[in-house]
Amino acid sequence: MQNIKKILFLFLVLTFSTNLYAAASDEVDTGSADFETTIVEDEVYDPLEPVNRAIFKFNNFADKIVLEPVAKGYRKLPPPIQSGIGNFIGNLKMPLVIVNQFLQGQGKNAVESTGRFLVNSTIGFFGIVDVADRIGLEEKEEDFGQTLATWGVGDGFYLVLPLFGPSNLRDTTGMVLTYATDPINLYAASQGEGAWFIPLRTATNAVDQRSQIIDEVNALRNNSVDYYAAVRSSYYQNRKAAIDNTDDNVLTPVPLITIEFD
Amino acid sequence: MKSIIVFSFFISFLFNTSIFANEATNWLSQEIDIILQAYKNQDLPNENKFLMVEQTINNNFAGAGIAKFVSGNAWNSATKETKKEYIKLFKRHLALNIASMMQGYSNQNYSLINSRYDESSKVTLVDMLIHSDNNDIQVTWRLKKSKERFFVIDLLVADISLVVTKRSEFNSMLKTVEYDLIEFNKKLSNQNEISYQKIIN
Repeated sequence: MQNIKKILFLFLVLTFSTNLYAAASDEVDTGSADFETTIVEDEVYDPLEPVNRAIFKFNNFADKIVLEPVAKGYRKLPPPIQSGIGNFIGNLKMPLVIVNQFLQGQGKNAVESTGRFLVNSTIGFFGIVDVADRIGLEEKEEDFGQTLATWGVGDGFYLVLPLFGPSNLRDTTGMVLTYATDPINLYAASQGEGAWFIPLRTATNAVDQRSQIIDEVNALRNNSVDYYAAVRSSYYQNRKAAIDNTDDNVLTPVPLITIEFD
Repeated sequence: MKSIIVFSFFISFLFNTSIFANEATNWLSQEIDIILQAYKNQDLPNENKFLMVEQTINNNFAGAGIAKFVSGNAWNSATKETKKEYIKLFKRHLALNIASMMQGYSNQNYSLINSRYDESSKVTLVDMLIHSDNNDIQVTWRLKKSKERFFVIDLLVADISLVVTKRSEFNSMLKTVEYDLIEFNKKLSNQNEISYQKIIN
């Protein structure tokens, strides 16, 4: 009887305190200033929305039946192999990252990235081992889309590209420029190896990136009232942070359904 | 004398913001552990795990405030009863979103790497790094103090704010129902049911 009383008392105390906390949480008022939101996040310029939604549906389907299962399989590989592949692909991007850093006036970053590329390509066995990171040369990403943004080019309208995923007019232009100028791809093409090398590189990059965000994508996909709008907003926020270089040393990929060209 | 006063003020300001940040970090660490421990407990059925997580989130997130912000233009025109129903549904929706994300992190280690107090917005930001074999993901918690305790007002994963994303997502859906919160509540309720089934199975 004494024990029942104790349990009952404990139950009442816990219930009461829980309700008290929950009620207190309701009294916290929030406003626009708390979230740094703008009208841009509420209303992205998306004049092609019906077409974009159709392509998004196709991409989502392709992701579910191909990319996600392959990415899950990839994640089962021994961690050193996964990081070796990721490092190798990341190192191939560096020449264009350096160019974009120069174009954006980031001289110091460009010099560091050059050092990083040289160290990893030599001591790091063609970029497989990220030796540079251990000596303080952090990976920083820049692309033509970011460069155009830095030069004052606006987003343009929102676009969903088949297989490549969310983008906008400016970033799509940047992606085309990347394809057209990437020295590694150009070299492969000049040697007659572009037909297999470029698609393989793109696909491997997509699998590597996707494998890093399996949980985040699933959380977003399973819990959105409008998954398309959630991805669209995420894309804009992530790109804005990349353009503003909000946090240079965190290179988490965009949690989106996308096959990214590196 | 004046410089001593200024210096003292500066030191006490730094000291206070540091105390705020440390206090927030300790508090947050305890709450995250409660959620992660719930997921690590193999004996607990999934329904119970979620209920534990939901309770923790309801107690520690500024659910009603976030709900109001996220609903944007639809809030003002809704009746008191509709708002009440919407807040209830939103809180569950928020819990399902956080629980779904934290479920994925339950087998990974995390560390709270940095915290800072922003005096102008009165918001404390705590950075958490979730470690996996090949990459780290940064999660930033935005905390606001009210009545001598902290409440989470936003969660940012890789610079993507949960609240801003939800606001944009809800706005898109609200547009289809002409910003009618009653109609929106039906959609939110359906989505919650789908999400709940996924999380418990």
